[in-house]
Amino acid sequence: MPTRSAYLFLLPALLLYLTFVAIPILQIVYFSFFDWDNGIRGGFVGMDNFARLGGDRVFLAALGHNAIWVILTLAFPLMAGLLLAAILAERSNNTRRWLGAIYFMPRTIPLVVAGIIWGWIYNPLFGLLNYILDGVGLGFMAGAWLAEPSSALLSLNVVGAWTFFGFCVVIFLAAIQSIDPSLYEAAEIDGARWWRRFRDITVPLLKNSTLFLGLYAAIEAMRFFDLIWVTTQGGPGYSTEVLTTHIYKTFFLVGDFGYAAVLSVVLLIIVLSLSSITFWLLKSK
Amino acid sequence: MSNLSRHIQTVVLFVFAIYALAPVYLVLLASMRSEADLFSGPLSVPWPINIENYRRVWQESGFSVFFLNSLKISASVTVLVVLSAPLAGFAFVKMQFKGREALFALFLAGLVVPAPSIIVALYGNLQALGMIDSHLGVILPQAALLMPFSVFLMRTVMQDVPDELIEASVMDGATFFQTFLRVVVPVVRPGLMSLILIVFLFSWQEYLLPLVVLQTESLKPLTVGAASLQGRYGVDYGGIAAAGLIAFAPLVALFLVMQRSFVRGISAGAVK
Amino acid sequence: MQRLISISVGAILAAGSAAAETAITQWDQFSQSGITAAGPAMDELIATCKPALDGVSVLRTVAPSIGIRDSYRLAVSAGKTPDLAYTWPAASVLAGYARVGALAKLDKYYDQYGWPQVNEFYKGRNSYDGHIYAVPMEQDLMGVYFNRDLFAEKGISVPTTYAEFQAAAEAFKADGIVPVSFGNRDRWPATNTFSLILGLTVGLQAEQDVFFGDTAWTNAGFKQAAENFQAWASDGYFPRGFNGIGYDEANALFLSGRAAMTITGTWVLQDMIRGADKFDMGVFMMPPMADGVAAGTMWGEGSQWQLSSTTSAEGQDAAAAYLNCLLSDESRKVWVQKGHTVTIGTTPEELAEWGADPVVQEFFEGGLATTETNFYDLHTTLPESVTQVLYPELQRLVGGEASADEFLETMQAAWEVAIANGERWIP
Repeated sequence: MPTRSAYLFLLPALLLYLTFVAIPILQIVYFSFFDWDNGIRGGFVGMDNFARLGGDRVFLAALGHNAIWVILTLAFPLMAGLLLAAILAERSNNTRRWLGAIYFMPRTIPLVVAGIIWGWIYNPLFGLLNYILDGVGLGFMAGAWLAEPSSALLSLNVVGAWTFFGFCVVIFLAAIQSIDPSLYEAAEIDGARWWRRFRDITVPLLKNSTLFLGLYAAIEAMRFFDLIWVTTQGGPGYSTEVLTTHIYKTFFLVGDFGYAAVLSVVLLIIVLSLSSITFWLLKSK
Repeated sequence: MSNLSRHIQTVVLFVFAIYALAPVYLVLLASMRSEADLFSGPLSVPWPINIENYRRVWQESGFSVFFLNSLKISASVTVLVVLSAPLAGFAFVKMQFKGREALFALFLAGLVVPAPSIIVALYGNLQALGMIDSHLGVILPQAALLMPFSVFLMRTVMQDVPDELIEASVMDGATFFQTFLRVVVPVVRPGLMSLILIVFLFSWQEYLLPLVVLQTESLKPLTVGAASLQGRYGVDYGGIAAAGLIAFAPLVALFLVMQRSFVRGISAGAVK
Repeated sequence: MQRLISISVGAILAAGSAAAETAITQWDQFSQSGITAAGPAMDELIATCKPALDGVSVLRTVAPSIGIRDSYRLAVSAGKTPDLAYTWPAASVLAGYARVGALAKLDKYYDQYGWPQVNEFYKGRNSYDGHIYAVPMEQDLMGVYFNRDLFAEKGISVPTTYAEFQAAAEAFKADGIVPVSFGNRDRWPATNTFSLILGLTVGLQAEQDVFFGDTAWTNAGFKQAAENFQAWASDGYFPRGFNGIGYDEANALFLSGRAAMTITGTWVLQDMIRGADKFDMGVFMMPPMADGVAAGTMWGEGSQWQLSSTTSAEGQDAAAAYLNCLLSDESRKVWVQKGHTVTIGTTPEELAEWGADPVVQEFFEGGLATTETNFYDLHTTLPESVTQVLYPELQRLVGGEASADEFLETMQAAWEVAIANGERWIP
């Protein structure tokens, strides 16, 4: 039954959302066409701000790092989550409950704090990681982790994975538990080993969850900021620069509002396209 | 399954448990070390256990104030969201109105909007509204940014409410609002609990908004306080570790106690 | 790296009760420990200078020394500029605030109070478009802190030439001691180090030719300076992973006795003196690094007091009178004795007379001996847009990711853009 009171029900949520999210998005787009000086809006400059994107090495590097982050996340925490969930699904309720909680726990830690903790673990002077490597006779593997362009992004991704793999376990576990148990029983009667059951039943039936988590990971990889800001601030050089840190620096440190708006528009276009793809894929199933 | 492969699987489970727990354990050790000597023995168990770091951080570095600020901000965001998102979710599932699809799509789009991408405009707007350097300037945008997810979650939860219940109530002459309060809310109580926990968690974890909106030290929440400690104590890792624990321990405790609600909320919508 | 933040927002003085009384918000960096740890001196001077305020109260916020630069920018763009702030850096960044009208002109207060210690050099650094906008206070200098015990143990004497410095560094390295403690995770420390190397490699005049003239960054002298800096890293003068070591951590490494030297400024004197309890610490001035370059060091005012243009006229008058009191001869003595902070115009003789710590005396005797040839701090000379390019580029240069030529080309490109945008500051 159609009803007008629906609009009243929507009003509080809509009002907040429009004021502090939707309208700012439109403003960002508008801002990107103007010249700015220390926060004061100047004249209309058309696409001039956008034209700077192509020649901006930092932007291109940042975009690349965002992409690498997505790939690393798909390769490690997502896969690990799938495997762990499949193993856990066959364990007792207690094991599942406790290990699930332990795996998920890092996710409850604010990324800022995770960054501080891991920054200390990685510290080249008195970091715990090098200390432990030295202690177990693997001193030759000790490195400068966040200080080397070659290892900085990868080392940070280990921190990102730390907060994410448990989330994947929880989602996959819920999905596995919704699979009809008779499928597994039939396979067992046929003599299928664990690995084959995993490959032939679990994986195909988790396609939707995997897709969801994969795109979720991709969107998160575009959005994250805290972890990098408290550890490397994008350095050394530009080796851990991502779109969000580039926006932050352009806006708050340089004060170039127009170009920061352009970068924001680019970021929005990317995440909105990614989410449209997700919904379209999930819907078409 | 063969014993061997089961043992291997157990080892895998164990290794990942260490991965998850070790950093937290190390921080706990460091926070209780009386004199954190940077250059020796970070792995030895501190004895006697020492809470001086906690006392110092709590009393002298203002973490008691940061803690209260985090509590105030997160609680306010949660209240705002809980007062508005379930209503919207209900409307989207159980009510017919013009523009329903379009409005839902509008919310869906917001599901992925990163705070850094709108901060440029948000900052100017908050300034115009006189909300810079005030808790309101953090609370309102944060509630708004969490709104799409919350509406989405509530819509999923509300789908499980039987239509007959609602129809019966409306037939009895109750308004939609009365029906919502008396019939729907009791049924979706577990879903609401999940919403409360997740929104509280997310707003407690927020860093960028308070970082840029709040300038007065006595207004800042734990995340910003903990990040600024990094240089503030220089190399006093005992103090930093204690501060980190203060910043995340409540969340971990909350999660462990309310695990079921958390998991239900997080997996709602993802699995189906 | 942020610095102390005590929440002493409420250090409210003055008569308190009067309802309509004016209050001035003050942001400063004088914390109880760390960089510019002159908190006790500030507390005492606020009490001393209370009469100068004529009933106006001061609402004080202690902001982190590093963070204040960004918080102040945010406050200005939010239209919440604090009435009175002790922030940094002057010159280029100050010019940006003056350009958008955020700051009050102080010309009339200079006429009224004189402030003779602020000579033409400092006036220039605090001016924009013919008007003066700030009052510099602290005298900042760069020098080399060294571990006298380690030097004595290895039989190494204080270097007076660059070759001797290099020989000393090699000797320490051979003994497994880090020659120069250095940490650049916070991104800004390398700018100070490079400013020093640059000045000692090309000299003051060559710097001015680039910063205020038409010479490009891509010149032979600048290239030599960039190569010198890079060589220190590749020759193993710095600890492993310096780009991942925090500024405080580098200082701690030096204070632990595991590094022979660290090159930084007077702004950490208090912490260094307090922390050097295991060995005898000294300071020397880095010798010139090329033939024909005069001895000198990087200097500047560190931070400066500035007033908001939105403050009421009577508030501005009171703040100026208060500043005048903070800069008086009696106050200078308090800054030195209670804050280990040396204000501009204080002579080495006065430091001796007032019983300043020997390390403080050593530092200022060395640094103030070459006032004619002391050179610029890039932080205070470059516009923010160029500084934000310099930070990552220096990490790349020292980390060996970019060659000296690539570094200078990138800097020149950023420099040209800034000039085209009218951001260049010229005294």
